[in-house]
Amino acid sequence: MTTKAPTSNASKQIKAFIKNWMSLVGLIILIVVFSTLSQTIYGQQTFLTIKNWKTILLQSATLAIVALGQSIMLLTGNFDLSLGRLVCLTSCVGAGLMINSGWGLLPAILVMFAIGIIVGVVNGIMVSYIGVPAMIATLGTQYICFGVGKLITQAVPVPFDTKSALYKSFSWIGRGYWLNNTLPICVVIMLVLYIGAQFICTKTKIGRNLYAVGGSREAAFFSGINVKRIHLGTFILGGILATFGGFVLMARLGSVAVTNGQNYEFDAVISSIIGGVSLAGGKGYVLGTMFGCIFLTTLFNGFSMVGIDPFVQDVLKGIVLVLAVVLDILSNRKKS
Amino acid sequence: MSKDYILSLRNITKEFPGVKALDDVTINIERGTIHGLVGENGAGKSTLIKVLAGIHRPNAGEIELDGKIRHFANPIEARRAGISVVHQEIKLAEPLSVAENMFLGNVLMKNNLVDWKGMRKRAREIVADLGLDIDVNAQVSSLTVAKKQIVEIMHAINNNSQILVMDEPSAVLTNRELEVMFRIVRQLREQGITIIYISHRLDEVFDLCDNVSILRDGCHIDTLPIGDLDRESLINMMVGREMGQEYPKEPGKIGDTILSVKNLNCGMLKDISFDVKAGEVFGISGLVGAGRTELARAILGIDKIESGEVYVRGKKVKYRYFRDAIKDGLGLIPEDRKLQGLVQTMSIKRNTTLVNLARVIKGGVIRKGLENKLAEEFSDKLHVVRPTIETEVQYLSGGNQQKVVIAKWLFQESEILFLDEPTRGIDVGAKAEIYRLINEIVQSGRTIIMISSEMPELLGMCDRIMVMHEGHKMGELDAAEASQEAIMALCT
Repeated sequence: MTTKAPTSNASKQIKAFIKNWMSLVGLIILIVVFSTLSQTIYGQQTFLTIKNWKTILLQSATLAIVALGQSIMLLTGNFDLSLGRLVCLTSCVGAGLMINSGWGLLPAILVMFAIGIIVGVVNGIMVSYIGVPAMIATLGTQYICFGVGKLITQAVPVPFDTKSALYKSFSWIGRGYWLNNTLPICVVIMLVLYIGAQFICTKTKIGRNLYAVGGSREAAFFSGINVKRIHLGTFILGGILATFGGFVLMARLGSVAVTNGQNYEFDAVISSIIGGVSLAGGKGYVLGTMFGCIFLTTLFNGFSMVGIDPFVQDVLKGIVLVLAVVLDILSNRKKS
Repeated sequence: MSKDYILSLRNITKEFPGVKALDDVTINIERGTIHGLVGENGAGKSTLIKVLAGIHRPNAGEIELDGKIRHFANPIEARRAGISVVHQEIKLAEPLSVAENMFLGNVLMKNNLVDWKGMRKRAREIVADLGLDIDVNAQVSSLTVAKKQIVEIMHAINNNSQILVMDEPSAVLTNRELEVMFRIVRQLREQGITIIYISHRLDEVFDLCDNVSILRDGCHIDTLPIGDLDRESLINMMVGREMGQEYPKEPGKIGDTILSVKNLNCGMLKDISFDVKAGEVFGISGLVGAGRTELARAILGIDKIESGEVYVRGKKVKYRYFRDAIKDGLGLIPEDRKLQGLVQTMSIKRNTTLVNLARVIKGGVIRKGLENKLAEEFSDKLHVVRPTIETEVQYLSGGNQQKVVIAKWLFQESEILFLDEPTRGIDVGAKAEIYRLINEIVQSGRTIIMISSEMPELLGMCDRIMVMHEGHKMGELDAAEASQEAIMALCT
């Protein structure tokens, strides 16, 4: 028995838009605030410049690619703590093979993705077929990935010879531009991935089933959906995207270190939540996660611009995370 | 006025944004009686109880308890005043013992330490007083649902309660368990406790209650001694219109045998055989735990069959997964509609199309226009009361949720539908609509297999009834000739 008080259609739509795309709205607010701050502090625009935005988008892209996998898993009511360290492991292996063992680009890439898929399969089987809680299963693989990464590199950074033909053959994916040096290629890749994922999630059967599984595994099962396979599939996809994100990061940085991808899994969760993907599963849009990643990167870019201590920035990150969740809970509570 | 009222609710009004849940409700309750509270879903019964229990604060009106005007700011105050509520869903700490649960929130202390011995002793006394056989040291999770319910009642009365409110305590109980509970409730009345009893099962209300208050659309319709009422007049007062027949059975379009089970063994199920014809409503009766749900699960490929055969349309089938059975035209409206039947966070539309999304997909893409059109069509056909088809099902009443579950399987065009307790917890109006849908389904030549604990419903709606007991088939009855006594004789 819930009859809602009549509100005008337009204001209802605006409210719904803000709720669904909180991260985009937040991003716009950030841009307004920081560009004003820049103007008042420095007397000129250092924030809203093409150069600064190239940096922001480049930094967002690698995180966003990894976060896409995480947000799809969150949609189905799971999460994967191994993603960040998987970024590290696959790029360590790739760089090791290319630099130390003299492998070519293609075979190295194949091995990287094979590892990403294997870790995804292991996570997926443990969680969906054996029933290990995702928290434990992926925490285990997180340590394994990090450990193997450290063993391979001995925790020493592995730099590419940035002038070599080998490096140049793939560096474009991380630091190349299109359109007269303005449009970073990896940002285009990010956009394509997200728009594709958004389409699949909202317009196809697989997408609808993802939401159903996230909303209620039992009800999804009793609707004939292969819940286990969907969970397994999302873990594999997460592994693939983490590997790809790691590859792009490697290409951008021109070197590999065990700190590559550090905290990506958590940053991905934060971005997803800011992007409106519910922690409980079954709600939100993956496209929001992309804006969430850009929001997060922009926030810290802005903080640095106005001269906030990096240590303080971690504190602020925590506050942003909690605030996003609180806002989400409060807005849901009002509705019911 | 010579009557001794322990509780008077006067002019209670409770508004929620956009809806008046209670409108000037005045009810007086006599001391030491069992007072029934009936009404359709959404009539305001739960809201009234929540006001009484201090969960909601009324916008207007007052509560007089034992001659004193009371305003409960929270549930703890209400509980201290001697009002205990046994809620519909069992809320016990499963890993703790029976005794510990009975003293939840009310722990006995001795020398500033928890007095375990004293609590166990007192718990045993309560159990003995009620003439029950329950080990107070047993872990609650190991008890049957019925015993849990009794623990819940004991927890409630272990509070020097003056008033015990029971919100649909019978929904999960079998007939025999119900008798035990009735005995307990009557015994509590003898001990001077006043009981407010909410139920959708009118038989119980007639059996148990001294007086009945009827609510409809948030208004108090009347309060009468049960002797002044008959079933029909009570139903009419609840729904506010002439209901017509309670079980409007119409014969289906009977065809050939469509489902045939031969010597099926699976877990507790032993050597079960039966045939069902197309267009039949085939009932499965038995106590909770007789293996009825298990039988459906085995046939539908949810549980692995150990031995025996299942034939669908004359062809032998062996479903490895439930989804194989779905593809073959079978469907299940599960017992637990909240958890298993619907994805609560999804809209009416999306739940309707979930099983057979292919119907709205063209070229791999979900066609929004087509999906909206079909979802509207099915929601209209099933009279799903809704703001829009985009409303999440969690905001619908139980009866409307069940209609969405049925819509989902009609949308799938299942030929053989298993209904597991299809009307549990649903009010009379919605029940009648579900029975009409059952008629429509069998008239189109499709088949229904209905598991139910409500014997009148099986007798009223089925063509044939199979009776089960502890995993065995005890017999099969022609519904036209069957009676409650005949079924009971078979299932005990």
